[in-house]
Amino acid sequence: MNRSDSNKQSSSGEQEGAEIVYVKDNVAIHPTQYASERISGRLKLIKQGGSLLMTWIPYKGQSSSARLSEKDKSLYTIRAVPFSDVRSIRRHTPTLGWQYVIVVLSSGLAFPPLYFYNGGVREFLATIKHHAYLVRSADDANVFLVNDFQDPLQRTLSSLELPRAVSVTNTPSSAAAPSESPSSWTDGETFDRNSALAQQNARQRQKNNDPARDLSIQVLEKFSLVTRFARETTSQLFWEAQGDGFIPNDRRKHDKKTHDYPRIAESNNIQKLPEDVPVPEDPLEFDKVSLVWGKPRQPPLGIEEWSAFLDSEGRVTDSEEVRKRIFYGGVEQGLRKEVWPFLLGYHSYDSTYAEREYLVSVKKSEYETIKNQWKSISKEQAKRFTKFRERKGLIEKDVVRTDRSISFYDEDDSPNIKSLRDILLTYSFYNFDLGYCQGMSDLLSPILYVMGDESESFWCFVALMERLGPNFNRDQNGMHSQLFALSKLVELLDIPLHNYFKKNDCLNYFFCFRWVLIQFKREFEFEKTMRLWEVLWTHYKSEHLHLYVCVSILKRYRRKIIGEEMDFDTLLKFINELSGHIDLDAILRDAEALCICAGENGEACIPPGTPPSLPVDDASMYYQQDDDDVL
Amino acid sequence: MPSRRRTLLKVIILGDSGVGKTSLMNQYVNKKFSNQYKATIGADFLTKEVQFEDRLFTLQIWDTAGQERFQSLGVAFYRGADCCVLVYDVNSMKSFENLNNWREEFLIQASPSDPENFPFVVLGNKVDVDGGNSRVVSEKKARAWCASKGNIPYFETSAKEGTNVEEAFQCIAKNALKSGEEEEIYLPDTIDVAASSQQRTGGCEC
Repeated sequence: MNRSDSNKQSSSGEQEGAEIVYVKDNVAIHPTQYASERISGRLKLIKQGGSLLMTWIPYKGQSSSARLSEKDKSLYTIRAVPFSDVRSIRRHTPTLGWQYVIVVLSSGLAFPPLYFYNGGVREFLATIKHHAYLVRSADDANVFLVNDFQDPLQRTLSSLELPRAVSVTNTPSSAAAPSESPSSWTDGETFDRNSALAQQNARQRQKNNDPARDLSIQVLEKFSLVTRFARETTSQLFWEAQGDGFIPNDRRKHDKKTHDYPRIAESNNIQKLPEDVPVPEDPLEFDKVSLVWGKPRQPPLGIEEWSAFLDSEGRVTDSEEVRKRIFYGGVEQGLRKEVWPFLLGYHSYDSTYAEREYLVSVKKSEYETIKNQWKSISKEQAKRFTKFRERKGLIEKDVVRTDRSISFYDEDDSPNIKSLRDILLTYSFYNFDLGYCQGMSDLLSPILYVMGDESESFWCFVALMERLGPNFNRDQNGMHSQLFALSKLVELLDIPLHNYFKKNDCLNYFFCFRWVLIQFKREFEFEKTMRLWEVLWTHYKSEHLHLYVCVSILKRYRRKIIGEEMDFDTLLKFINELSGHIDLDAILRDAEALCICAGENGEACIPPGTPPSLPVDDASMYYQQDDDDVL
Repeated sequence: MPSRRRTLLKVIILGDSGVGKTSLMNQYVNKKFSNQYKATIGADFLTKEVQFEDRLFTLQIWDTAGQERFQSLGVAFYRGADCCVLVYDVNSMKSFENLNNWREEFLIQASPSDPENFPFVVLGNKVDVDGGNSRVVSEKKARAWCASKGNIPYFETSAKEGTNVEEAFQCIAKNALKSGEEEEIYLPDTIDVAASSQQRTGGCEC
């Protein structure tokens, strides 16, 4: 076919030394129930070096539907996935309709079903078997396990008690009713049946509202029971994969690192996998089949690529594209100094070199003016200025205990510590109502590290505080609105986990307080924090990606949280001790996927003006009462 | 012989920012001092097994953020506390003057059943600083305040050098244990659930 030939060399990720061992045309995915919106493409297996890769590239310009843009199509593109990342393949051979396969990754995520319009599933599997380790599951003849699968999967499969033969019903709509779910956990005696009910209601509700969910339900309806069982199986596979984030080996490592903290009494049996407590399946995993999950992370944006984004006078020509690029890869350390002021909103994307240079000089003298306001306070004056003394004292206490393990701040009389102090004190005059609050030094420290210059750091910090200031309000309204939104998002994206928190009096989400207040600053090492921040600051997928980051971390450990029946205290401790153990790249990919999946329903969970959105009414936001501690 | 089922004693440490709450907790539990503890954000706790007579208890020590602005979080963290430790820095008058605020705030937020008799312990920390030369709150003044608030036990400590830390926490644990005792429900050593419920049913019918 000419059409596909022209596509052959394009973005498939093929390189020299690669050998195509399998090609199949007219392999399609069905994002919606509409035949007009199916996306056809070419499936290939490529042998490169020692590894086998799979690609599926949609045909260009083939879709008859205006609703499917090229962008949508590229969203589904499978670019060179190595089989070392694949966990299993499930084959479906319905009596009606096309054969299709579902490829499940070892991360637990799965690609949408691939429909073989021209047949060839058997050949596809045979080719894989020839080049990679593939075994048929002992429990289900249609499941093929890739790589080294051990007991957990077998256990999962056998626990499913899937009917060996499934007849196709002639009432597709009833097949979608969740009440027939064969999920094993609903049989667990100790699990709250209300939660099960709530989960079903939520499914029902979300089925009605959520486009992402509709998508999967529609596929489901189309293919009746056979598909449904396939989906349930897949969801169980995901569920099993959830445990991978914290298998006993990981835990040992974790314990070793924190050996100076005695283990808390409740978690003495921490080594044991929580098999006795039934953990309700993650409802969203149910849907993952129909989504392509967050793209692989890219290398950080470098200077050459950045230069290409600038016109001759220094304007960023396509800010959306820049933000997207940074969203997926971050920025190289050396370039951060130039890029962060844009991300933070200190420089506007359409400013020229000359305009920025001018702004910098104006702002420098403005900074000096504000700084002089407190610099000029004499000792005598300070004696009668309690608020100033207290504020200064608090800042001085905090700057000497901020990131001292970083060489930039490690000397006792480091000029950088002094700069931290000067900027924070100046800020507390610039925004006297808000003043200084603990956590601000954590937010400023990486900015000073990147910007170097005091005035530039100050103005970048000011820009950041425009958005995060409400986190530090006396009434904590910024924090409360974010924690509230977080609880709503968890309710939307993981109703069993939400029910678990509800049952255990954890709905205040105070265990996520530190995450939100200082944007995960204490959860990652310095470099990773900077990477995370620049991704968050792009506001590319959402202004509130940080909340999806929270959800994705909680989801990653949901099995442990529920399985070990953590109460509020244990959960808080557990979350605090996750610090330094969170895989940023994986979490960012999950967060992106959750964000896409939640769609408008997700945004609806977040009240207007919730930080880091710009305040709705600037003037009133920072107003502090007179009897405030104003420290 | 009846014994208590209770094994967890919850202790809250309060006081101004930078008085040494985290350091005291770490010195007691881990026998370590670092001058690089970061400012506490939110709350955290450490646990330590303590023995009284022949019974083992888990002391759960809560460390909270010292800035007043975060006090609204207290509700979540203070509840169920068995003892409250108020810490000030003997080199800072302000931190001493604030003890009263911390005490009142705690009583409001934790709302213990018997606020009059709720056990507090006061620690005057950082006695090592500058060989005591920068001290601004005298022991006498501190003890007078403690006496006025219902004879609160008082200790002068140095988290840095470990001075008096063990003694202070012994006292804290003892008071936490006592505080629980009044509301304690005594249960038999071993409970046969079936038997005891039968008994109760019988009792009700009588």
